[in-house]
Amino acid sequence: MRVVIGEDLFLLREGLVKLLSAHGFDIVAAVATAPELLAALVGEQPDVGIVDVRLPPTHTDDGLRAALQARAQVPGLPVLVLSQYVEQLYARELLADQAGGVGYLLKDRVFNDEAFTGAIRTVAAGGTVLDPEVVRRLLGRHSRTEPLTRLTPREHDVLALMAEGRSNAAIAQRLFITEKAVSKHAAGIFAKLDLAPSDDDNRRVLAVLAYLES
Amino acid sequence: MAGGAHGLIPAELSLAALAIVFAPKLAARLAPFGVLGLAVFGVHLARQYRDGFTSQVQYLFVPARPGAWGAWPVLAEAGVLFVVGLWLLVRPDAPDAGLVRALAARWLATGRAGISTVHALLLIPVVVLSLQLLGPHAWFGHEVGGLDVVLFDLTVAAAALVLIFRSRAWAATLAAAGLLVLGAYGWLIAVFWPVPGFAYGFSDLHNSPMPAPLWADALEGSLLLALGLWLAPRVMRHHLAPSDLELAARAQQLTKRVQTLTQTRHDAVDTAAAELRRIERDLHDGAQARLVALGMSLRAAERMFASNPEAALALVAEARETSSRALTDLRDLVRGIYPPVLADRGLADAVRALALDTPLRTELDVELPGEVEMPVGAAVYFAVAEALANAVRHSGARTVRIHLRHAAGTLQAQVTDDGAGGADPVAGTGLAGVERRLATFDGILAVSSPPGGPTIVAIEVPCALSSAKTSSC
Repeated sequence: MRVVIGEDLFLLREGLVKLLSAHGFDIVAAVATAPELLAALVGEQPDVGIVDVRLPPTHTDDGLRAALQARAQVPGLPVLVLSQYVEQLYARELLADQAGGVGYLLKDRVFNDEAFTGAIRTVAAGGTVLDPEVVRRLLGRHSRTEPLTRLTPREHDVLALMAEGRSNAAIAQRLFITEKAVSKHAAGIFAKLDLAPSDDDNRRVLAVLAYLES
Repeated sequence: MAGGAHGLIPAELSLAALAIVFAPKLAARLAPFGVLGLAVFGVHLARQYRDGFTSQVQYLFVPARPGAWGAWPVLAEAGVLFVVGLWLLVRPDAPDAGLVRALAARWLATGRAGISTVHALLLIPVVVLSLQLLGPHAWFGHEVGGLDVVLFDLTVAAAALVLIFRSRAWAATLAAAGLLVLGAYGWLIAVFWPVPGFAYGFSDLHNSPMPAPLWADALEGSLLLALGLWLAPRVMRHHLAPSDLELAARAQQLTKRVQTLTQTRHDAVDTAAAELRRIERDLHDGAQARLVALGMSLRAAERMFASNPEAALALVAEARETSSRALTDLRDLVRGIYPPVLADRGLADAVRALALDTPLRTELDVELPGEVEMPVGAAVYFAVAEALANAVRHSGARTVRIHLRHAAGTLQAQVTDDGAGGADPVAGTGLAGVERRLATFDGILAVSSPPGGPTIVAIEVPCALSSAKTSSC
């Protein structure tokens, strides 16, 4: 799997390169600034880009902007955004194009390499992975839109885990229910959110988006 | 008078000493009035002597003796005390100088610009009265009609007329000074000098055998004083360049400003110091402690690798967990110092992010065509955050509206919730801290929270907007 890495801190960049190489990823570019990152993402069109939010030149959210710009030029280009902190605002911006293939994780999630590489593969496959911290904050809010209030508490749980990018199998394991039950809940969620039957991945993204928009 | 006959008694002096020791501020405030009171008492004492009072009295530093000249030292000392009392009252750092100055400024401000012939013509009664009181017939006996006296009077009158028509301003100036002096003189006579046959005022111009009664002197003195007080500000305004008056007003404004700045700077320094202490404590108890634990776990794991690999593995996993917690601690700390989203995106998006993290229905109305300076933005951000937190914690609100806009050089933020209201802005130490932080930028925070709601927290900070960030995000 071809990967582009955008991270300005040398230690972290080299750490990521080592970690991902060890897991069999093919690092096609590891760059330190936003313009280089944009060029690499658009030029290489990797299977997934791993992007630090804060990059030179302005050291604000240049990395995020570069990722969004790359996705504007190459629709659906999978990017996994890493940051020292997470904001719902940024999650919304990443998901706004509804194209899927988006991840948004705290940097410390890298510690758990299995979960981290799992997340990379999910994103590369067009899935959506949100940091549990973002999801936790989402759950802190009351539902604001009509459709979401129609979800049962169990469907809420399933949707929250879906937002974290978990597969039906993983959700089943986590909630101690059968995978079939999860699919049933998922179908219920899609129906209540008026998501027409289509490619399942896309519906999952849209369901998460509805969650965010609430 | 009985007490006064003995002068100041030790009991009164000890009372004053006690006041100075135990209530120095109050004593300083009362001192000018005490000194002025002593001066009035001196005048009263002198009058008693003139009326035939016979005892000998010690009046502060001088003795007063019965007799024609015995009262003069008392009168002189009373005059000195009067001046001292006035000085104590109006000196720049006097406790009530602000009030005195404000009254003086108001009085000065009554003078309109421009001096007309009418003002200058007031010199005529002043000259007539002065000639009557101080002219040659008063010096050389009552030789009214004598050639020398008439010539002198005519010369003075002619000089006055020339002055009136050549220089209205100086004529009016002399008139104002004369009116004030003669008016005060009339009062002095009425209060202190009612010697039979002493002439004062227009009623005595023709040397009638019966001098005017005392109340007439007082009335005439009052009229002259009033005219003088009316004319004096006009004259002063004419002589002081207009800019001088403006400078005086400006000086007063600046003094106030300096006081405000001193206070807010003091608060800002205090707040910053408290903030640093909090950060130090948080680091010490949080991330630092966790890093120590991390090092110890790793060291223990190092030793166990050979003997007990299972336990060593568990320790390494624990170390990883600890490092994760240290990061969480640091993240929370950074958020409290300067929220990253504020640094990345500026105030408008930072407030949007705040709204997203608020567990209430939020309505957002942001009109910010540019970016605000970093410290101001942070102060407003934390103010809005505190207002939102209060709405969540106390109000029982379901919806909260956030307005953020910039108009007329002022950044305005308003947080309105539909909760129960009745919030006490004084009780919340959080809002008090926010208010102090805003005050550093001349910002204000107002809370309106009638019982039954809604609660409105309004924030205003004067500030300019820089051009918007050049991003399209």
